[in-house]
Amino acid sequence: MKISSKTKDIVIVGIMSALLLTVQVALSFLPNIELVSLLIIISTIVFGWKTLSIIYIFVFAEGLIFGFGSWWICYLYVWTVLMLITMIFRKNRSSFFWALVAGAFGLGFGALCSIPYIFIGGLPMALAGFINGIPFDVTHCIANYIITLVLFKPLYNLLDWINRKEFGK
Amino acid sequence: MKEAKYWLKVFLATLGLFALTVLLLYLFLNKRNPSSPGVKEITVQVIVPGEDVQEFVITTEAYTLRQALEEKDMIKGQTSTYGFYITEVNGRKADESKQEWWCITKDGEEIFTGIDLINIQDKDKYELTLMEGY
Repeated sequence: MKISSKTKDIVIVGIMSALLLTVQVALSFLPNIELVSLLIIISTIVFGWKTLSIIYIFVFAEGLIFGFGSWWICYLYVWTVLMLITMIFRKNRSSFFWALVAGAFGLGFGALCSIPYIFIGGLPMALAGFINGIPFDVTHCIANYIITLVLFKPLYNLLDWINRKEFGK
Repeated sequence: MKEAKYWLKVFLATLGLFALTVLLLYLFLNKRNPSSPGVKEITVQVIVPGEDVQEFVITTEAYTLRQALEEKDMIKGQTSTYGFYITEVNGRKADESKQEWWCITKDGEEIFTGIDLINIQDKDKYELTLMEGY
């Protein structure tokens, strides 16, 4: 039976969104230690713009689970920023390069998330929120760097292999 | 030669990221008010709309507001990804279904810091106000 390209895309988006959600919820008890950044990087390299749909299904499901709080506004753009950065360097396959990108993204996560607070409580509130979150950003940076350095190659190879074998891309 | 150049770039970029991390930590440590050592006396008001304001004078050697209030069993809370937040003050629980939460202010001015990051000093005055609506 021949499966249409559209059906394959729906399957990819569904599975990847579920995967993002599962790893996020599973690791949510560890502050700022996550696999979402790495999976978004790999997904963007392998699936390209389809990752945009994956991200927004994941973000919407996160809102349904944890509530649509102010943190959710930040989720609306923060993962897309990572995807866009990845799109620029999509041809690169170096673990070290992507570890640096993931680390820098982790370090800048708090700054990106404090943007909505400029409109809610002004610059002092955003700045205070950012400064207070620095230890979490540093943890995020180190964790992202190590996780990406160790897992980028095996996960990329696996996803790329599945994509070629199962989806014939 | 090409490989050596690549590794040099990786090394320099890693060093740059490390330097940025140290810079941010420096910023964090210098922006926080240090706590004064020794015994401190602080005043804490508990404000619940529609009820009388309760005032407590606390003598403590604690460094943070969280430590001081937990010593007196005044607060209960939960640790989230973003740090500790108060769920109960003096037995009064914030009802999440009504979007209630505890707001911390110092001399009436809002503090945008988690309670475990508030370093206390002698004669500080804090207010814990039950708010409604996120």
